[in-house]
Amino acid sequence: MPAMAAIPPFDAELLRRYDRPGPRYTSYPTAPQFKPGFGAADFARAARLSNDDPIPRRLSIYAHVPFCFSPCFYCGCNRIITRDKARADTYLARLVREVAMLGPLFDRDREVVQIHLGGGTPNFFSPSQIGELLESLDTHFRFSQSPGRDFSIELDPRFVEAGDIEALAFMGFNRASLGVQDFDPAVQAAVNRIQSVQETQAVIDACRQHGFRSVNVDLIYGLPLQTRAGFGKTLDTVIATRPDRLAVYSYAHMPQLFRPQKQIDETQLPSAEEKLGLLQLAIEKLSAAGYRYIGMDHFALPGDDLSIAQEKGGLHRNFMGYTTHADCDLVGVGVSSISHVGDTYSQNPRDLPSWEVAIDSGHLPTWRGMQLDADDNLRADLIQQLMCQGEVDIPELEERHEINFGVYFADALARLAPLQADGLVEVSDTRITATSRGRLLLRIIAACFDRYLHQPQAEPARFSKAI
Amino acid sequence: MSPTGRRPRHNPIADDGDQLRFCSTCAFSDACLSQGYNKTDLMDLHVLVEHVGPYHEGEHIFREGDEFNAIAAVRAGTVKTYVLDASGQEQVLGFHLPGEIIGLNAISEARYPCNAVALDTVMLCRFSFPKMALLATRMPGLQAQLFRLLSQDIGKAALLAGDYSADQRMAAFLVALSRRFAQRGFSATRLHLTMTRTDMANYLRLAPETVSRVLRRLQEDGRIRVDRRELEITDPAGLEDLARAVLRS
Repeated sequence: MPAMAAIPPFDAELLRRYDRPGPRYTSYPTAPQFKPGFGAADFARAARLSNDDPIPRRLSIYAHVPFCFSPCFYCGCNRIITRDKARADTYLARLVREVAMLGPLFDRDREVVQIHLGGGTPNFFSPSQIGELLESLDTHFRFSQSPGRDFSIELDPRFVEAGDIEALAFMGFNRASLGVQDFDPAVQAAVNRIQSVQETQAVIDACRQHGFRSVNVDLIYGLPLQTRAGFGKTLDTVIATRPDRLAVYSYAHMPQLFRPQKQIDETQLPSAEEKLGLLQLAIEKLSAAGYRYIGMDHFALPGDDLSIAQEKGGLHRNFMGYTTHADCDLVGVGVSSISHVGDTYSQNPRDLPSWEVAIDSGHLPTWRGMQLDADDNLRADLIQQLMCQGEVDIPELEERHEINFGVYFADALARLAPLQADGLVEVSDTRITATSRGRLLLRIIAACFDRYLHQPQAEPARFSKAI
Repeated sequence: MSPTGRRPRHNPIADDGDQLRFCSTCAFSDACLSQGYNKTDLMDLHVLVEHVGPYHEGEHIFREGDEFNAIAAVRAGTVKTYVLDASGQEQVLGFHLPGEIIGLNAISEARYPCNAVALDTVMLCRFSFPKMALLATRMPGLQAQLFRLLSQDIGKAALLAGDYSADQRMAAFLVALSRRFAQRGFSATRLHLTMTRTDMANYLRLAPETVSRVLRRLQEDGRIRVDRRELEITDPAGLEDLARAVLRS
């Protein structure tokens, strides 16, 4: 078993001490570093350059559907609450136009090996609307025909109707991620998300029946009124359905940043102590049920592709979380979506009107982004290794980036020293390794190597806490 | 080692010469030194015209039809030479690395018969050709070197002449690149490819998709590893085997 795979032991005192804000490193540099000076022309140029690599990267496409039928109070995502299904039609029409603008930028021999629909609630779209989106993607890009391709969709089980999953499977979807959070009725009422075990189970069963390769379930700890008893029961119920993957996210209460959270009664939130207890419970139960730890908030069954990739060192991390698809250029479609093409990041406007105006005027809607320099690429490589493998091979990194590690990272190593003293990380001449104690705090270790966190800024970026 | 810990790149920056020393990649230094001419002597003869550049990516160094009066040695970067055929299609003639000469094919004409464009940041050393030729009559070693450089230009014909597979041609192209880098003191196994796949395809007379397919196959066979523009030859012997028929050595 690789170093990362065993479920890390739980050390409350340590977690408490290191429970401080830090980026989640779905990208490095992180989105707050993107600048408005980087626009559509820069994105198009990056696409053109990426076509001219000796082996142009395969493509991974993310499409964002921002709408939700009802507001979950914990949500920190970019979403729009509406029950007006007509909005789906107008949004889809523009998505299709964006796809038509994006497709020609990429050479036709670049296969799409991953599609992910995220939100918001992707199943705000009807299956036929999702079908239309896929058709436009198929027209303007070339889909891989390999069985290893991933077409995945986030589903809100409350709005999945009979026959929907079959229709999605027919279109080629083979992975689904279901939001659950907690089945405890008191918690569900407090966060405005009432969802029965039965309707959730029905969706999981349908996915299995129609040949989905994996089902993921999202849980959240730290929600109002959550208790060990209630969350424990939720964990038992979920584990009984054997989802191939499980994400157990920490609820970050930042109402000044995420307005929906203002509706949460702060007095009902568990204390830091209780919250840690919930995480401990999740770790113990998942461990006992045979799940492996993938990294950050993610767990998977040993036979799942993520576990297998982790064993082979083929695990990667991008805006969609952990993935087995190494070295793809990532193309984002829809409001707020992020693309990662070549050495660049670019992001669409986060507000719907700005995105709509760009599409309607026939322009790529790039709002901001950045060109990575050699230092960014080096640190991105290092942080990727830490987040995915839990360790960094120093000589390999030195060779690849032509640096002397000890000299180049003298300041980072100094920042790492207290973490080393606390036994979170081991540092030798050839390796930096997160210990079993440190694996729940990977982002704190990674943050030591983040150049932007350690330089003076006009306005400090705000990040959620680690646990 | 710089104080920031970043090591100099393995290519394509050459050690710069100065008033007295030749650049480490200079195409003529050996020939001249063996004849007892050092750099000061050449300066006296006003043969060594000037260091020019930098030229930036996409910038032309000369164009077809420009008056020919100088040949230039690449000091840093990569220069692509090409012509446009009757239908306006680009035909890539070659890629010139540090230490290599551009403009040699202009010798028989009074004008440059091709275009030369910088693929990245390029620095050149320009020589007055009439004066160089005059000097060569007095320096047999220099003359021999000029002939050697001329004959190197013919390599591409061999690459395309025979009935070779795309894999063999690609292997030969990579082996030749690796040898040229090694000759100038750069890494023979880690190459930074400054040319686009369109250029590579054009040069090798393959479709761009074929270039990628062949490279991917070589990668799956464990002969090379490609990450964007960085290419590592992981099995030099295996790649040489494949290239042998084309390179005949």
